[in-house]
Amino acid sequence: MSSKTAKHVLHSAAWRISLWATLAFACGTMLVFIFLHRFVASDIQRRSDAWLSGEVEVLRDVAERTPKDSLYDRVVGEVAELAGKEVPNKDMSESSANDSVFFIQTSGDGSLKLWVGAGNGDANLKAIRASRIVPDHPTDLHIKGFEVPFRVASIRTGDGSYIYLGLSERDELRVLKSMRLRFFLLWLLLVLLGFGIVFYASRRMLSHVRQITEAASRIGHSDLSTRVPTNGKNDEVANLAMTLNRMLDRIESSMHQLHTITDSLAHDLRSPLTAIRGKLEISLSTAAHGDQTEPTVAAIDELDRLTEFLNASLDVAEAKADALRLNRSEIDLDQLLRVMIELYEPSMAEKGIQIGLRSTGPAIVTADAGLIHRMVSNLFENELKHLPTDCAVSLMLQAGEDSASLILEDDGPGFDAEVLPRLFERRVRGRASNGHGLGLAFVDAVVRAHGGTITAGNRKCGGARILITLPVASRPHAGSSATAMHGAH
Amino acid sequence: MRLLLVEDEIDIQKFLRTSLEEAGFHVETAGDGKTAERLAVDNPFDILIIDLGLPDQDGIALILKLRQLGVRAPVLILSARRSVDDRVRGLEQGGDDYLTKPFALAELLARVRNLLKRNSAPGNEATRLRVLDLELDLLRREATRSGQLLQLTSQEFVLLEYLCRNAGRVVTRSMILDQVWGMRIQPDTNVVDVHIYRLRGKVDGQGQQSLIRTLRGVGYVLKDR
Repeated sequence: MSSKTAKHVLHSAAWRISLWATLAFACGTMLVFIFLHRFVASDIQRRSDAWLSGEVEVLRDVAERTPKDSLYDRVVGEVAELAGKEVPNKDMSESSANDSVFFIQTSGDGSLKLWVGAGNGDANLKAIRASRIVPDHPTDLHIKGFEVPFRVASIRTGDGSYIYLGLSERDELRVLKSMRLRFFLLWLLLVLLGFGIVFYASRRMLSHVRQITEAASRIGHSDLSTRVPTNGKNDEVANLAMTLNRMLDRIESSMHQLHTITDSLAHDLRSPLTAIRGKLEISLSTAAHGDQTEPTVAAIDELDRLTEFLNASLDVAEAKADALRLNRSEIDLDQLLRVMIELYEPSMAEKGIQIGLRSTGPAIVTADAGLIHRMVSNLFENELKHLPTDCAVSLMLQAGEDSASLILEDDGPGFDAEVLPRLFERRVRGRASNGHGLGLAFVDAVVRAHGGTITAGNRKCGGARILITLPVASRPHAGSSATAMHGAH
Repeated sequence: MRLLLVEDEIDIQKFLRTSLEEAGFHVETAGDGKTAERLAVDNPFDILIIDLGLPDQDGIALILKLRQLGVRAPVLILSARRSVDDRVRGLEQGGDDYLTKPFALAELLARVRNLLKRNSAPGNEATRLRVLDLELDLLRREATRSGQLLQLTSQEFVLLEYLCRNAGRVVTRSMILDQVWGMRIQPDTNVVDVHIYRLRGKVDGQGQQSLIRTLRGVGYVLKDR
């Protein structure tokens, strides 16, 4: 997996959901274990305490009943040793002697009377003396030389001596330790498995959401015929997809209606325009005298302006409704601008206007070439019509990672303050303008139809500034640019 | 040259017929798809002009049907629609052409001639063009007038080449924009005119006759006589 996909996964909602779910699951199971552990530990201790108390009582009975003769030590010692052997001891291998159980009988003054166990019992006695052991209540006792503490029960015999029976907690701790280890491994496995399942499930579900998002974003301004995928189930995500599709149906039908209206309007106006223009042209070619042609030529010019106005206003109307139809192809803005500057440079030079382009290189966008041509032409015509002599127009084209930005600046008088807030509206034009007031509205419409942004204003040092950004093609440098300067056929 | 004009608007049909006949075509007309179909199958036409908005059927459907019936003549599509349909683009790639209404007659004629030329057997493409005393070397991209080399930019050469190829015929501003600059725009300033003035300044030397004539309200023509 490349680092980019890894980054993509780390930023996905599925990853976050699984992380949180796993955290909750891990904490929950950990709490359950802690509870279980405590329960098992206390139960084991209760059982060993019960055994200790029982044994110590048996030993006291034996000690009290056994006559205090030379056999006393042997009898009591053997009973104590037998008791010790009842304890299951798995760690016998370390030393042959049973060191998990010890028995001590002290006389009333505290001196050692009888010892059964590994070693000589000095350390045990010392530890017993150092701590206060209450009879009938088994307590923990740390003895020097032993890592694990002993559980010691004591009892007082009839003759004033004390009997101590100690049981190493080694076994108990070993059981708990192995339980902890097993549980930890099991817990780790469960958590990882849980994480995997949650991640897989949420990723699957969210991938459907992602498909919907991708499909919805593909359904651009111009293509409303595709629909977002439905997974055929009846869950929330499928409902979302179906609702989106129903919404798209409605938008498509109203868009279709809008197109029908604008198309029939265009058709109804264009047919008579065609007829008028044709008749004017015929009368122009058959006119005998030059002075009669002047009004006809003017009429044809007016007709062409009317046609262009009709086109632009219908385009702007459609674009305002986000219904502009685009015939997209890959275009290199850099090349397109160079060709258009080449086209407009002589006219600008005639008026004493300089025009220059600074570009970072090819900027490939997927756009409607015809509309982009008209957009740039509109911008240039604006400059041509409104800039006074000896001004300069500078264009800057920057190709970024996801968008190409075009900055157009001039050092003329800039936009009138009163039209500045409404620059992109229809029929808005400056006081000195003789245009139809659609130029910038059209530019705005084209930019928006392509999913770009446009801002216009005046520079601090004087002059107008228009910034346009257009999203660049997702596949960089795939295929050559669509527009090319070419000769006659 | 036999031409079939399929157009339901009587006004447009009439003036197109007049101009096309003046340009030397033998014109048959049809006002609807049915008539057009019958005429096209029965008569061998060299070229068809078909309007998209016919009363009885869609123009593109008609073209596709005619193609199925074995009509091979190229078609110039007339459209009053604003946007160019994807299907029209498809036909354009198939060798047909389209023109949006309203149009200049000169442009219609130029496109008709282009289609006919494209459809005829391609001869050896000339490497030199000659119009009166103007000569263009298409390989070396050089132009001479009366043997004198003209100092042209590459764009000016392309423009002059286009005018030469259409010598004696009117070319409109939008035709020049389309064929020389590759864009269908309708600027309301005189961008094309300024290019023509510049070119004229270089082509017509002192004492020479002016080759590039302006036809007001129509376009330009490069004199070939």
